[in-house]
Amino acid sequence: MALPDALSTTTEGSGARARIQRFGGYLSGMVMPNIGAFIAFGFITALFIPDGWTPNADLAEMVGPMIIVLIPTLVAYSGGRMVHGQRGAVIGAVATFGAIVAGADPVRLNDGTTALPFGGQVMILGAFVLGPLAAYLLKLFDNLVAGRVKAGFEMLIDNFSIGILGGVMAIFGYTVIEPIVGWITDRLGDGVETLVNHSLLPLSSVIIEPAKVLFLNNAINHGVLTPLGAAEVTTQGKSILFMLEANPGPGAGLLLAYMFFGPRSLRPTVPAALIIQFFGGIHEIYFPYVLMRPKTILATIAGGASGIAVFQAFDVGLTGPAAPGSFIAFMGVTARGDYFGVTLGILVSAVVSFMVTGALFRFGHGVDDAEGMTDIDLTKAEESVAATKAQGKVG
Amino acid sequence: MTSINGSDVTKVVIACDAGMGSSVMVASTMKKKLKKYDVDVVHTPVNEIPADAQVVLCHAGLADRARRVNPDAVVVPFQIFMGDPAFAKVENAIKDGGTLES
Repeated sequence: MALPDALSTTTEGSGARARIQRFGGYLSGMVMPNIGAFIAFGFITALFIPDGWTPNADLAEMVGPMIIVLIPTLVAYSGGRMVHGQRGAVIGAVATFGAIVAGADPVRLNDGTTALPFGGQVMILGAFVLGPLAAYLLKLFDNLVAGRVKAGFEMLIDNFSIGILGGVMAIFGYTVIEPIVGWITDRLGDGVETLVNHSLLPLSSVIIEPAKVLFLNNAINHGVLTPLGAAEVTTQGKSILFMLEANPGPGAGLLLAYMFFGPRSLRPTVPAALIIQFFGGIHEIYFPYVLMRPKTILATIAGGASGIAVFQAFDVGLTGPAAPGSFIAFMGVTARGDYFGVTLGILVSAVVSFMVTGALFRFGHGVDDAEGMTDIDLTKAEESVAATKAQGKVG
Repeated sequence: MTSINGSDVTKVVIACDAGMGSSVMVASTMKKKLKKYDVDVVHTPVNEIPADAQVVLCHAGLADRARRVNPDAVVVPFQIFMGDPAFAKVENAIKDGGTLES
């Protein structure tokens, strides 16, 4: 299939896709600025929990509050900030605190030896709702009073509007939002558990891999999987969910196959892309290679699924999200003792993806005849995009 | 249809979904290319493309969203993240004062 066809299939129904992308973009936009905090949490967990590298009961006290309190607060802060700047950020964090505390019933971490001051539910989903909602209400209020406040009273109004509205929203979060979100989180957790128990988790690649190349990668990983994985870490000390989307193996295998068997005009561009993808963790760089030959999605699905099967067989996980999805990031957050299983899973997914892509290219025989794509085709493709847009079909 | 003359461009925005990954990578290569023409290159999430953006470069899969966020900017989509003709097109327009169209 030539590129223009691939493009038309991806731009058709782009309204719906753009809407999902945009919604997912908001979710991941709340999580992604805070990935550093997740990684710090992952390091502290890996080091100090009873199963960790250097168990330390005192320092391990940070583990619970960081994931239960700090991270949802940061997420809510970022969510509020997107809607209404610094003021939105503050009220978003305040509003989410009710739900955070309501969800935090005391439990024990990991093997049950570390009692936590806070345990229970990770209220990231609650933060997704309350952060932007509180900020939006504050924005409405601020617009309402804009220009009507007597000179000299601005600071009073500004501070007390956050204080009062924030307090009310925190109570609302505690009493109304937490029970709903808590229930949803439990059901999602049950769903994941069912998939894990029945060894069905590899099937998630059937959804994840195609969604990735439509630029829903961040939405899926940080909008859905990171919050669920964070909840698993509080009970198991690690989670496989962080690896479902972020595994650099399938993309790397695909790129390797392009390097050896792909259209000749494309081969020189691949080695740099491969390094950026596998070590830099910028997966976006391989998406175009899938989009220009849509059938190669079968390769990344097969690669992703077999990698997950290996992760599951070895019962391995990460202590925090691997973001960006680089091999180096994976090694940085792999749970203690899981290095072999994690590396093997990445390797297997790369090999499977490589073999399937290679087979689809008939291992280099005949790709260049009918399906060869040159830079001229690429320019043409762009012109066709411009033409479609000119007709008002896009945007 | 929006268009701009390359010689009027003072700032190019590179957008991606999160504004943290691929856009940073593309921005750092474009920055090197456009430095000598005194053109500023910034990267943002596609949802937060600034209102004063003149030229936006983003992947074709995100172009739809980019146009919705900022209908006044010239959105130039690209297909591949390295060596795409779109990058050369923008650079040449800025160098020679050609017209960029969205």
